[in-house]
Formats: sequence, C-alpha cells, structure tokens
Amino acid sequence: MFASILVNGLVNSVILILTALGFSLTFGLSRVANFAVGGLYLFAGFAAWIFLRILGLPYAVAILLAIILTGILGAIIYQVLLVRVRGIELSEVIATFAVGVAILETFRWAGFVTYEFNLPSFFKGRLEILGTVIDYQRLIVIGVGLFLAVALWWFTHHTKIGLGLRGIAQDEHTALTLGIESDWAAMLSVAIGSALTAVAAVVILPLGIISINVGYEVLLLAIAVSVLGGLESTVGLVIAGLILGYAQVLTANFLGPQWMLVVYLAAIVTVLAVRPSGLLGRFKEIEERV
Amino acid sequence: MLKVRNLSIFYENALALNSMSLDVNAGEIVGLFGSNSAGKTTLMNTVAGLTLDLKIKEERKGGERITVTGQVNFEGADILNVPPSHRVAQGIVLCRERHPVFRDSTVDENLRISGYTRTRAETRARINQVYDLFPHLVRLRHRRAGLLSGGEQQMLAIGMTLVAHPRLLLLDEPLLGLSPAMQGEIVRAMKDIRQQGIAILVTEQYARPIFPVIDRGYVMENGTLITSGTGMELMDNPEVKSAYFGM
Repeated sequence: MFASILVNGLVNSVILILTALGFSLTFGLSRVANFAVGGLYLFAGFAAWIFLRILGLPYAVAILLAIILTGILGAIIYQVLLVRVRGIELSEVIATFAVGVAILETFRWAGFVTYEFNLPSFFKGRLEILGTVIDYQRLIVIGVGLFLAVALWWFTHHTKIGLGLRGIAQDEHTALTLGIESDWAAMLSVAIGSALTAVAAVVILPLGIISINVGYEVLLLAIAVSVLGGLESTVGLVIAGLILGYAQVLTANFLGPQWMLVVYLAAIVTVLAVRPSGLLGRFKEIEERV
Repeated sequence: MLKVRNLSIFYENALALNSMSLDVNAGEIVGLFGSNSAGKTTLMNTVAGLTLDLKIKEERKGGERITVTGQVNFEGADILNVPPSHRVAQGIVLCRERHPVFRDSTVDENLRISGYTRTRAETRARINQVYDLFPHLVRLRHRRAGLLSGGEQQMLAIGMTLVAHPRLLLLDEPLLGLSPAMQGEIVRAMKDIRQQGIAILVTEQYARPIFPVIDRGYVMENGTLITSGTGMELMDNPEVKSAYFGM
C-alpha cells in the first residue's frame, strides 16, 4: 500500500509537472500566459495519430513531426494574434483561451470523439518496483521528465539563446539595449512552450485515449500547478507537481477516484486565498516598491 | 561618428525633444547636461533605438502616437529606422539610467547574457576585460545582481555594455545615487574605456564629477539645446556655471 502510493504518486507528479512545463516555461520567459495549452496538447495528440494511422509514418517520425508542428502552431498563434496585444495581459489571456477552445471544439466538430483515437505505448511490458507493477510507458514519462528538466536548465543557463531569453524575461528594455530582440524572443518562448506541451502529450497520451475532455483537464491542471507553485518559478513548479500528484493519489486511495479532479480546484482556491503569488512565486511590483 | 540633426520627438502632442543637434567624434567623451525632463534620456533612447521599438509597439496596439523627425547618422548612414539589435551589432550600446541589471541572474550570467550579439570566444575574452576594469566584481561573480549595492550594480551595468562590444557607448546618468568614492571609480573607468578607443556620450544632471574627463559638452533644457562647447567654454557661461557646476 505504502509503496504503491509512493510509486504511483511519483508517476502522477511527473505527469503533472510535464503537462504544466510548457505553460510555465512560456510564462517565465515572456510573461505570456498561454491558455491555449489544452488545445495545443490535443493538437499534438491528434497530429501524431493522423501521421501514424492515416499517413502510416513510423511512430518515432510521427511523434517528432507532431512536436515540431505544435511548436510552429505556437509561433503562428504568437505572430497572428498575440503580437498585437503584447503587454495587455487580459487581452493575451482572452486571445489564447479563445484559440485553445477553438482548437478543441474544431476537433469535436470534425468528429474526433470516438475511442479509436489512441496512441500505442512506446514499448510493451511492465516492471515491478517495490512490489508495485508499473508499465514501461510510465517509466518513459519519468525519464522524459528528468531529461527535459536537465535539458531546459542547460538551455537557459548555457546557451546564447537561452541566456538571451532569460534576459528579456527579466528586463525587456535592458535586453533590447544589448541587442536581444523582444518580439523574436517572445515568439520563440511561445513556440518552445508549445513544443514542450506536445512532448508531454505524446508521452502521456499513450496511457489513455485522446479525447476532447483531456484538453480541458490539461488547461485546468496547468493553471493549478502554476498557481500553486508560483507562475515563474521552476522549483515551485516541481514542488507543486509533487504536492498535487501525491494529493491526488492519496485522494484516490482514501476517498475514491471521483474526488481526484477536486484536488486541483481545492488547491487553486486555497492558494489564491492564502498566498496568491504561489508557494515560491512573488509579485515583482511589490518587491520593487519596497 | 554620431551626428544628430534637428531631431524632434513628440509623445502624442507633448514635445520631448525640440530640433536637437549633437555630434560625437571618434575617441571623444561628450557630456550632455540638463535637469530632469530636459530630454536627455529621450535622446539617448532614440540613438539606441528604444524609441523606435516603443513607437512600433504602441502603433501595433493602437496606443500612444510617437512622432520622430530629423536625422540620426552613425558613421555616415541614417539609422533612425534601424532596429535596436542591429544598432548594437554596429556598435551603439546604451547603458540605461538607474543601473539596469538582470536582478535574478548572477553577475557572471549578466555578463554572459550581454554577449548575445557576439561569438562565445569573443564574449569570454571581453568578460575577462571587464573583470580587469572592475576587479571589485570578481569576487561577486556568483552573487545575484539584485543583491549588489547601487555602485556595484552600476559597475556591472557598464561591464555588460562593454561585453556587447560598443564603439559608441551611451551612458545615461551613470553617477546617479552613487557615493563620491564610487563616482570616482566610474569616472576612472570612463577614462579607461576611452583609452580602448570607444567614444562615450554621457548624460548627467550635475557636471562637476565628470567635468575633468569630458572633451566637449552640451546643455539642454526642456528638450532644447541651450549651449555647447568645450569644458572651458561651458564654465565661462555664468548661467551654466551656476546651474550645472554649483559655483
């Protein structure tokens, strides 16, 4: 029992962190709250499905194409919609939310609603850890999560573009005086965030089916993790993922699985009431005033 | 090197800069003096391209209307419509007022971010030069920039502009809020920077601390050029002398 909670909680936590990673990264680098994340997640899933099942491409190619295509879609969303409302936060939220809903409802309209929409596991089989059976796909999820954590840290600390993006994130005008282009950087951050959401989609979706509701759940989850952890804090994201992941597994074990979704909502409401900037986030405006 | 001719800037209908003309020649340190709201920062931002960037972004979302007329020439070419990143690549680098640094990054990261337009090897060499110019920064290299004192942040901010490899360095009120000792340190650095062949345009409200190092100076009030000349010529103007030298 204890071991099963430990293992399943970890898997669940990594799933949450991975799902929210793209949303959090985009916000951290360009202050764009990309509420199209649910739509992008499903877009990646359905794109991979189409490449695999309709076009008959090899699975690895299908996945790679889906990730790249979702990144490009993110860039297009920025260039077409966000560039004009940049800096007007409410408009950015409305625009991205609308795009997300439009993507999801377009799939519903196009008939992507049956159980035939699913992605196969990367490898069949399972493993026993601490007496708990865990399939390979869940191990892959954990592996990808760890890999992305290291890769992103390296990207933002040791590459020119990553450093430039962090500069823009902290002080746009100073970054401009050093030759870093703010529009390009913002577009890139939305594109990278979208691609990361696609990575989450293609590794997590094989655990279930691809359905429209998953898109709305992803949106809710990304908000919950980000609100709990503090919007721009990476460490906060990880801690929030662990708290929510284990809270969900405990809830499912002791109260019943139907209560799992309530955990997100309870976390959002509690954090907003007690510590609105999140566990590790802070409101810059207040800091600057002191 | 830099030629500004009849530059006028309106924010909506408010005149920020009124037919301003100014020159900076290679290897010179030129002072630009004026009180708050004289238009110094507007001029600096326009030369660096920030005004253009702001104008484009405001137009895009239907915000404030910014009108720019006149000419800004850098080495013979009109740069008024050149985006800021290209100006940096050409060698115009601005150090904004109030020691702008990336507060959440370490000193070393700040310097590495600043090498954005340069190659990795070039950036590394330049960072070492910055540590030579400001040895004080060496032991702070792994500290977060937001935790440095005002003077240390100003050293870092100037160091960051140097990593971007300027040929014309624009320093907007670099001495603002610094202790006299720290002001002396910054002025010494300005001399060293000129020795490297970098021209400097520097603004200040109060001329005295940088007076010994400037070749020429301009005085502005309410967006308009009042007078200009060598340091000695400015000192001979009684009004300028009392307002900007406190004598």
